[in-house]
Amino acid sequence: MELDTCAHCALCTENCPAYNESKDPLHAPGVRSAMAVKLYDKKYNFLTKLFGKTEITEKDVEELSESAYHCTLCGRCMESCPFGFQTHELWSRIREIVADLGGTPINVARLGKMLDENMNPYGLDPDERLDWVDYTDLHEIPEEEQAEVAYFVGCTTAFKGANHDVAFSIASILNEVKEDWTVLGEDEWCCGNPSLISGDEHTAKEYALHNVEALESKGVKKVITGCAGCYRVFRFEYPKLLGREPKFEILHAVEYLRDVLVSGRLKVEPTDEKVIYHDPCELSRLGGVIEAPREALKYLTKEPLEFDENGIDVRCCGGGGLLQAVNNEMRLDIVTRRLTEAKEKGADILVSACPACKLAFTDGVRERGIEIEVLDLLELAAKRLGVL
Amino acid sequence: MVWKVIALNSLLAAIYAFSVEKLPYITLVVTFIGVALRVMRWRSSPPDHEKIRMDPVESVKYVLLDVVLFRKTWRTDKAMWLALFLFHGSVAGIVFGHMRGFHIWSIHMFEAFGHAFAEFMVHTLPIYVGYVFIVTQVYFLVRRVMLENKQLTSMPNDYIALVLLLLKSIAGQGMRLVPPEGVPATLYNVVFIPRFVVLHLETIPNSHWFHIHIILTQLFIMYVPFSKFIHIITGVIAPAIYGSRRKEIDR
Repeated sequence: MELDTCAHCALCTENCPAYNESKDPLHAPGVRSAMAVKLYDKKYNFLTKLFGKTEITEKDVEELSESAYHCTLCGRCMESCPFGFQTHELWSRIREIVADLGGTPINVARLGKMLDENMNPYGLDPDERLDWVDYTDLHEIPEEEQAEVAYFVGCTTAFKGANHDVAFSIASILNEVKEDWTVLGEDEWCCGNPSLISGDEHTAKEYALHNVEALESKGVKKVITGCAGCYRVFRFEYPKLLGREPKFEILHAVEYLRDVLVSGRLKVEPTDEKVIYHDPCELSRLGGVIEAPREALKYLTKEPLEFDENGIDVRCCGGGGLLQAVNNEMRLDIVTRRLTEAKEKGADILVSACPACKLAFTDGVRERGIEIEVLDLLELAAKRLGVL
Repeated sequence: MVWKVIALNSLLAAIYAFSVEKLPYITLVVTFIGVALRVMRWRSSPPDHEKIRMDPVESVKYVLLDVVLFRKTWRTDKAMWLALFLFHGSVAGIVFGHMRGFHIWSIHMFEAFGHAFAEFMVHTLPIYVGYVFIVTQVYFLVRRVMLENKQLTSMPNDYIALVLLLLKSIAGQGMRLVPPEGVPATLYNVVFIPRFVVLHLETIPNSHWFHIHIILTQLFIMYVPFSKFIHIITGVIAPAIYGSRRKEIDR
């Protein structure tokens, strides 16, 4: 019904970060919708049913695949759609169609293979999940049988060097407030987000079941994650995939940080440096966590800054939707725009709350030579605490 | 020459009679079939991951904000919001105005505010609303052509529907503006479907413009289920379902 209702008005196009960089009609959300309808009609249209199925050509599939994967799934088109479609869901469903037609891009298909073998999208051995501990000043990490709180690290934080300090910061803060906490360690599997956004709901469900059972067996009441993608999937997708709510509360680390700062359980001195906050799409627009990071930031800097496009209307950094796997140059173009704006606003530090955003920003700084310090909000907190 | 004129007049009379006496039934059947085909098509699509649970209060809120007030377009593009608002506002005005012809309301409704006001509401304002309707349609059509193959790829039916709507609107406006010719008095009451759809006219319209208008209008109604104008229906249903389903609220 959504695809039939889409009036191809193109009101979403100017807001699309991918289209804005490439100006390629194939990357415009409205064109994607039209292509999907055409393909659907080729198979299921009334006239097609009367006169026999029309052949879906390789070119049809290639074009739809190109369109579906040149999208960061940031959901910004949703905010300009007059009909209020949940476009991030719609585009994920189109990726499912692409997968059914065998059009999934090679790099994305490889990712699926790595997930099957190692339960993470990086193809690394599960016993390397806690290697980040060795690279930081943290000497040990609790792997308890039972605990009040669990820290769900997430694959991009655990396996990507640029994010090891984020894990260290969260762990340090949990220690600082003397929380009774644990990690799942090797037993932590991918949250299922990459599977969901590449059209493999079956695998995502398997991972959801494993993670929820593992966490519930530890009797945890709260699960904290620093990853915006994991957070969104735990909070909004797991209940759908499992058909029930998990027996624990899911919090993003910025919500936890806000709570401990406001309650006074954590005390820090704010910095004089100008700090600009970038809302991760999966945390703000798709996750509903908009005020918590801002409230936390008030305790961490005397000069918080805002992008013009923020909160629910945030412009994506380019780090989502598996765009890196199909077009890294486009990802860097998108992130460059955001980094440039941060510089123009006079920011000394750019903070976010998502490992994929941090990776995109650090790649942008390195590849495009833009000088600005990039941190996760939790890293900034750990720095102000004097542990990082 | 005279015979040719007589033959042409006879043909037109036959077409005009058909447009009033037979075409309405065809319109009803085709529209019904079109809607049924659409519903079958939606039912054949893969099931949703999530059961649709509608929260009536949230649904009404989203329909009011997104459909009636175009909140999202207001946030993103003020000029487009104005065009959309004027277009849909004039649609609402025109549909409401037509209801008077079908005796759903009468001029007396406005008499409480004075006769001059009532006259303005039923005779003067509709002409301006008609112009707004046409101008906004032309704007949308030109915009679509300019963005074609850049930001959007239209289906043939996008254009057919827009052109059909524009032509019927021009015919409707022409009917008001072009002086009437000799029209049979029976046209004061135009019986499309006896006791069901009867149009009561106070003034005699120009016959040609009137019949072109009603033929195009019926073609348009028949075409709605097969075109993007299906959003007349689904554009309300979609925000009611998806808006109400959206749970990402700040906490």
